[in-house]
Amino acid sequence: MNSTIGLSDILLISPMIALFLASLIPITAKVLRGNREQHPVVTLSQALIGIVIAIGLLIVFGGAGKTAFNNGLIFDGVTQWMGVIALAAAGAAMIMMYENPSTTGKQFSELIFLAMSSAIGMLILVSAVDLLMVFIGLETMSLALYLMIAMSHEEKLSKEAALKYFVLGSFASAVFLYGVAFIFGSTGGTNILAFMENAAELVQSSRLFLFGITFVILGFCFKVSIAPFHAWTPDVYQGAPTPHTAFMATAVKTVSFAAFLRVIATKSLIGSDHLFDILQWLAVITMIVGNTAAIIQNNLKRMIAYSSVAHSGYLLIGIITAGVSDNGAFGASGVIFYLLSYSLMTLGAFAVASMLERSENHIVNIEDLAGFARQRPMLALCLTVFLLSLAGIPPTMGFFGKFYLFNAAIGEGLLWLAIWGMISSVIGVYYYLRPIVVMYMKEGNAEVAGHSLNATTVTAVVMALAIVVMGFVSGPIFSAVEKSLF
Amino acid sequence: MILSSIVFLPLLFALIIAVWPKASTIRHLALGFSVIEFLLSLSIFKQFDPSSSGLQMVEKFMWIERFGIQYFMGIDGISLWLVLLTTFLTPIIILGSWTAITERVKGFHVALFILQTAMLGTFLAMDAIFFYVFWELSLVPMYFMVGIWGGARRLYATVKFFIYTMAGSVLMLVAIIYMMYLTQEATGHMSASLLDFYKLKIPFVGGTFFSLQTLLFFAFALAFAVKVPVFPLHTWLPDAHVEAPTPGSVILAGVMLKMGTYGFMRWVIPLFPEAAEYWAWLFMLIGVVGIIYGALVAMVQPDVKKLVAYSSVSHMGYILLGLFAFNAYGMAGGLYQMLNHGISTGALFILIGMIYERTHSREISKYGGLAGVLPIFTIFFFIITLSSIAVPLTNGFVGEFFILLGTYKAQPVFAYFAVSGVVLGAVYMLWMFKRVFFGEKGELVKDEHHPLHDLSAREIAVLVPMVIMVFWMGLFPNHFLNYSKASIDYLVNNRSNYNLTIVNPGETPVQHAQGGN
Repeated sequence: MNSTIGLSDILLISPMIALFLASLIPITAKVLRGNREQHPVVTLSQALIGIVIAIGLLIVFGGAGKTAFNNGLIFDGVTQWMGVIALAAAGAAMIMMYENPSTTGKQFSELIFLAMSSAIGMLILVSAVDLLMVFIGLETMSLALYLMIAMSHEEKLSKEAALKYFVLGSFASAVFLYGVAFIFGSTGGTNILAFMENAAELVQSSRLFLFGITFVILGFCFKVSIAPFHAWTPDVYQGAPTPHTAFMATAVKTVSFAAFLRVIATKSLIGSDHLFDILQWLAVITMIVGNTAAIIQNNLKRMIAYSSVAHSGYLLIGIITAGVSDNGAFGASGVIFYLLSYSLMTLGAFAVASMLERSENHIVNIEDLAGFARQRPMLALCLTVFLLSLAGIPPTMGFFGKFYLFNAAIGEGLLWLAIWGMISSVIGVYYYLRPIVVMYMKEGNAEVAGHSLNATTVTAVVMALAIVVMGFVSGPIFSAVEKSLF
Repeated sequence: MILSSIVFLPLLFALIIAVWPKASTIRHLALGFSVIEFLLSLSIFKQFDPSSSGLQMVEKFMWIERFGIQYFMGIDGISLWLVLLTTFLTPIIILGSWTAITERVKGFHVALFILQTAMLGTFLAMDAIFFYVFWELSLVPMYFMVGIWGGARRLYATVKFFIYTMAGSVLMLVAIIYMMYLTQEATGHMSASLLDFYKLKIPFVGGTFFSLQTLLFFAFALAFAVKVPVFPLHTWLPDAHVEAPTPGSVILAGVMLKMGTYGFMRWVIPLFPEAAEYWAWLFMLIGVVGIIYGALVAMVQPDVKKLVAYSSVSHMGYILLGLFAFNAYGMAGGLYQMLNHGISTGALFILIGMIYERTHSREISKYGGLAGVLPIFTIFFFIITLSSIAVPLTNGFVGEFFILLGTYKAQPVFAYFAVSGVVLGAVYMLWMFKRVFFGEKGELVKDEHHPLHDLSAREIAVLVPMVIMVFWMGLFPNHFLNYSKASIDYLVNNRSNYNLTIVNPGETPVQHAQGGN
């Protein structure tokens, strides 16, 4: 085995190196200043500069399917798009962390260090093409995240959330690793590209391999909260500080789906009808469970958490489409575009939720939004855009995301999945309308928190504009995504 | 560029109003804008060729190339009058709501203009996805209109309206995507253009529900049937109408319901001719049931607005009946009745809004003897009532007569039952008229502390154009139908291989050039 590390390897992983170096700056500065926090603006800008550089490096050096570290990492279109989406989402979430009462303050440097470390894990995950690399990425990302949630200033729910997430997350990682072991045992390797070449035959001929790949898929299903493995999602999303929730719901979900896509999109589903059936049912159950459970929620964050479960179901349709298709690029680019739109709208919705929190223990219920449209017409309009986009109302980006996803599914003959998706998105409309009803049509005096939240406001407004504008130019974006794959 | 300017000018107006600094002049500004929009829409006539059945003033650009989705607008005799109805009603609505909307005036007018863009786009879009975008977009401003400025149960009504119509139309989106793949199979490249959809030959097997054309037919028909709304799917309408503010009711009854019937004419019937023919009995049946059911339920309503709402169900049943008669009388009558219903029911809602502003009640039993107190109001109400019950010389007569004639030619049995709707319509409208305007003075009418004032000059200005239209359309139907005749005849005669040609403005279409020589 040739294991020399060349310059090209270093260049390819330069985004991760940049992130790592940038993550060290704030925490080193804190140490050098005798454990005194530098101004949070400085910390934040150091992190954001690091993210921007990483995005730049990823775009410049990545792409074209180059592999690094003995075929352990691959840098193709999926890596680039998913990596950029995840990093940008992580950056936006950090802006929210800077201003949210439960995350800003005396341990901000440590928090940013952890968030950046988690981002490194994300980059590993989107580029990993070896199941062990996937595991390393998953764990790097998740371990930092467990800590981030636990160190919230909020007293009770966030600790519960961290513990829950840690226990269940570790369990899922173990399941994943167990599956990897079986795959290694039956194929003699863990490189996705290598064993997926003949996965279609292997799932039929080798029980062990089928067992292994099922466990790997289950591990992913947990991470991207596919029902019935979603039970942690509402509790953790609700308990975690809002910026962290945004971080998990967008960046973490994007990269988990990227790795999921890599495993599935290599035609493993063609061989096994059972696996294919099971995934279809999981998608249907996820959409129904997510959407119906969201209806009865009163807590805004919990509602968005269930909505995020439902969106995982839609995305799973895209993953399945990519898995059964001869040309996976269409389905895969549907997934990528959907993740882009989903990340924008979910980040925006959480940004507005974050602004409503007056203190670290403040719980925002949907009814608390009453009168928000009168007090803050701009922010109410932004939240309306996010919710309508999540509901898939044209001409927002969310509609086109669904359109591309379901279009690909229908093109592959998965008509009934698309119909399920459409029906459950109608159920979704009901709860997405509720906050709008409360904001605009009920009297009250909802107000954003007293302290200045300018950066978060800007983030929300930018997201809303992006959703509207990118709805109109979604065609070229989608084509660009599709061209960059394969 | 005229169609694009007509569709998107209201959006620009909405933006201007949104940033307009002086709250006191917003109404004047909006009124001026809507009049400009109406005049602009009149300029269609300068270029419109009534002798052509083709698609005129076409604007066509590629929008999303990957899926063959186009920015594609065009107008023909079917959409022409619906566009004008929309632009005609908007200034009337703004003037009519001058004193009715007192809160969040700016937001109201922004929503109104966005809604106008969405409705006009629905009538003019010739690309399935482009159409769908406008179709769904129209829900959002209407949702806010009912939800913010509506009555006591407005939240229930507005959410019901939104979910109902949205639920109806998602299967249409699936069907549209499926048809895009059919065009790919047929021509090699994907397209969402309606003209390419028309060229598809979709296999049809009678006698089973699970044939491709039947399934697609029902996916589309469901979306439009909910919007119309036809009999079993109508329950959102009375709620939305009663809770909506006056201008909301006028738009809803005047234009939005027509989006459904227009959809049948533009999409369902020409796209799925065999299925439409096979299932015509079903739609004629629910049309007739709707006529009779709507009339019977309207008769017993204690609330005058609810009465008019149910009368809409009855009137829309006529339109459906006419369209599915598949002959020139029925189609022309159906199209004409869409305009009539927009004018007369719109005017009725405005009148009800005027009296509601004075008394804050719509209970029929609290009125009585209004004729002696409000003579001018009574005259207007009487004229519109006559139009609504289709008395000869009014517009309603022409439409209903054509529809019944067409139905009789196609399916006499349905005509026998539909005629009873004419009588029932007279019963519920005239009985309501008697209870409100004649007899003992009701408690609201004789209330000494709140004397009622007759119509102001503004209110008369709102109603006069409507009354003019009632008689104009009643006396000279050819002034209107001549513009639609070519398109309707073409649709009736070429239903099974319907295919719109694009006629460029200024260019004489080929078949007519030959005729002229």
